[in-house]
Amino acid sequence: MVTALQLALNGLALGAAYALVALGFVLVLNATGAVNFAQGDLVMAGGYGAAALVALLPVPGLVLLPVVMGAMALLGLVVSALAFFPLMRRPATAVFVSTIAIGLVLQNGALALFGPEPRTAPPAWNSEPLRWGELALSSQALAVVVIAALLVLGQGWLLARTRLGRDLRATAQDREMAAALGIHVNAMIALSFALAAALAGAAGTLLANQFFVTPTAGSALILKAYIAVVIGGWGSLAGAVAGALLVGLFETVVAAAVSYTAASALLYGALLVILLLRPQGLFGEAASRRA
Amino acid sequence: MTLTAEPSSPARGLGGDALWTILILAGLGTYAGSLASPYGLRVLTLAGCQALLVLGYQFVFGHAGALSLAQGAFFGLGAYTTAILATRYRWDFALTYPLSILVPLAVAAIVAIPALRLASHYFALATLGLAQVALLVAVNGGDWTGGALGLTGVPGIAVLGEVVRRGLPLAAVVWGVVALGAWASWRFAHGLTGVAYVVLRSDPIAAAAIGLDERRLRFTAFLLSAAYAGAAGALQAHTIGVVSSETLEFSVMVTCLAMTVIGGSTRIAGALIGALLLTFLPEWLRFLQGYALLAYGAALLAMIIVAPEGIAGILGDRFVRRRRAVELPSSEPVPLRGSKSATLEARSLKKSFGGVVALDGVDLVIEPGEILGLIGPNGSGKTTLANVISGLVPPDGGVLRLGSRGLLRLSAERIARAGVSRGFQTPALPPSLSALELVALARASATGKIGFLASLRGSDAGRRRRRFEAEALDLLGKVGLTAEADRSCGALPTRLAWRVEVARALALDPGLIILDEPAAGLGEHEQSELGAVLRDIASRGIAVLVIEHNMPFLLPTANRIVVLDQGRVIAKGRPGEVVRDSAVIASYLGREKIGA
Repeated sequence: MVTALQLALNGLALGAAYALVALGFVLVLNATGAVNFAQGDLVMAGGYGAAALVALLPVPGLVLLPVVMGAMALLGLVVSALAFFPLMRRPATAVFVSTIAIGLVLQNGALALFGPEPRTAPPAWNSEPLRWGELALSSQALAVVVIAALLVLGQGWLLARTRLGRDLRATAQDREMAAALGIHVNAMIALSFALAAALAGAAGTLLANQFFVTPTAGSALILKAYIAVVIGGWGSLAGAVAGALLVGLFETVVAAAVSYTAASALLYGALLVILLLRPQGLFGEAASRRA
Repeated sequence: MTLTAEPSSPARGLGGDALWTILILAGLGTYAGSLASPYGLRVLTLAGCQALLVLGYQFVFGHAGALSLAQGAFFGLGAYTTAILATRYRWDFALTYPLSILVPLAVAAIVAIPALRLASHYFALATLGLAQVALLVAVNGGDWTGGALGLTGVPGIAVLGEVVRRGLPLAAVVWGVVALGAWASWRFAHGLTGVAYVVLRSDPIAAAAIGLDERRLRFTAFLLSAAYAGAAGALQAHTIGVVSSETLEFSVMVTCLAMTVIGGSTRIAGALIGALLLTFLPEWLRFLQGYALLAYGAALLAMIIVAPEGIAGILGDRFVRRRRAVELPSSEPVPLRGSKSATLEARSLKKSFGGVVALDGVDLVIEPGEILGLIGPNGSGKTTLANVISGLVPPDGGVLRLGSRGLLRLSAERIARAGVSRGFQTPALPPSLSALELVALARASATGKIGFLASLRGSDAGRRRRRFEAEALDLLGKVGLTAEADRSCGALPTRLAWRVEVARALALDPGLIILDEPAAGLGEHEQSELGAVLRDIASRGIAVLVIEHNMPFLLPTANRIVVLDQGRVIAKGRPGEVVRDSAVIASYLGREKIGA
């Protein structure tokens, strides 16, 4: 019982971090119709950012979080300027390739700067587990769930309740119509990249404490986020969060019961099966043929 | 008559490509034969394996325009197949090599079923999923795959019992295979099949309109890429003697992508340049050691922004003596017999989009040889009806027949081949192709001469291609476009676009042609030309369905008019009767001035 609870919390924490990655993925996808393949590598960059910062400034992760997110937002703007705007009028595969290139630069840049050894970021608050009698829950996992939930809710609020969010959604739905309504479409697209990168930075900071960070850590993440998005229905934000939680729970439980390899193999297999049977996702119907 | 042509499309531009390819191969031969050290020969051999891999990747990425991320996995599959069969079972090269091609081919065929119907990024990430599964299997395959360490002791290539020695002989064998692959690739890209892929990339709907099966074209390209990758992987296994899970890592895929983009994604010379450059450069630039991928990333980004056609695209036909102008034989008359002419019958066609009813039980009969005008207010369902008849939109219910043949379950390209051709409200014309190429392609497609095997046989190139072009010239003459036949569609004035659309539709020898507002934006002269062409078509027994708002054009042209309003037929009859119909005036004509 106790282990089951800890396992569930760990799975939820992993899923929550995936949700941040998947949300950024969907944000950019909706705004541009293109996939940002560098999203996973941005998470990795965020993780290194946190690891590097704490060496200069030994404070808890919670304090580092806004700093990393701000820096990552700037990096997101750079990514949009290099990999998206010059290719706006090209087929969607062009942006896919350019973001692969960005990912390659980030990965190998990290390798050049930090070397291949895994790094770790500070815990969000402290590493003492929370105890109630027999029950000991990882406070980091709990912190990840809480922080991710706040960020997800914050983004939901931003999109649903603010004027900026309305403009972002209008841009996502129909770029030309949004432009005709006087919305600065390019600014909205750049903002989507910045938000996506900031979320990736948060995910990187949170993940890099439990799982370490290596230059190639992003590659697996992008696929997990993608699976979450496919499960949740392409383009749906709520679906992506639900999908990410499912992926995180599934991976943690199967990894504990069988092995991490089995968990990954089953996930990738499930991806192909879902694409075969329900390309519109498990939950509801989103645009099945964008881009 | 004789026409002269400037190279106008990627397919025509291959004239320079052939010369560059031969120059590169000759240069390599000289280098290998006289200058190369044993080490240089080894690098050259490995570059050959990469060149074959990239040639394969061009099919799916360059020609089909689909971003597959499984090319590295197919490469690894080929390498592992060779390594397992050669080291564990001591099988001979003559057996292992074909199998190393067949295994990735089979995997590609299975994966293609779910993956190929997916739009771009779905496809990309689904193929990435496949690559990850392959990597997991290799790392956890135990004794079979040698785990993370891999398999060692892969023997060299043995032909007829003779082991090919490393060094020059091995380099020659590998580059011989590359040359063979390049030849097949050349046949593929050089004929009308290559042109078919240009249409597919530019506009899948335009491809369906000339009877090209988008899924079959993409399937072929994907399978070819896998076969080439397997062939390349097996050669690399023989060359370095070791196969480990590194072969399946994403960096192999990314390097292949970088080679393709940097070299050029549709030209043979591009594959060679990309592979040679990115294999030799890290050897020359030792100071980059370890950061080669960083440089690849930066170069990849720069190239895709600045030179999307790669280095080979920049070279193009430059420095190459301009080719002799293309001479066409006198045009070959196409007998438009209306062999597919039959009565088109639609009954109770229904279609809703969400809650909006677009077609609410439409009945329509079109007889061979008649010009039927379809009018109605905006949103009355006219274009939806055209889309349903031509198979672009599946109806919710009803009956649709051409003669005795049911059309309802057929895909758009099958309906096109069954005899229903159409033009589009926004002309669907690939900008880089000339009208001649497009219509010639439609002729070849109508006779089933498009595809990899057809291109290997040369059914779509040379003399046979000229015959299709001669026929296309005749069709373009019928619509009065002879003088502009060689101009690229992108450079054609908008007012002439309908002519290409009609000629393309005629190329399929249709029984019915559907045109969506062909007269929109045309001057009076063009309108009367359009009317004359339509009457000429109808006189050959081909039915014409024209959607039009322009009543001054339509009334004298059409034999009959059907009026649609809110998804229902509210009136039909001869033009004179319909304009006097009170319901029509109330719903439609009353709101517009009519000048006839």
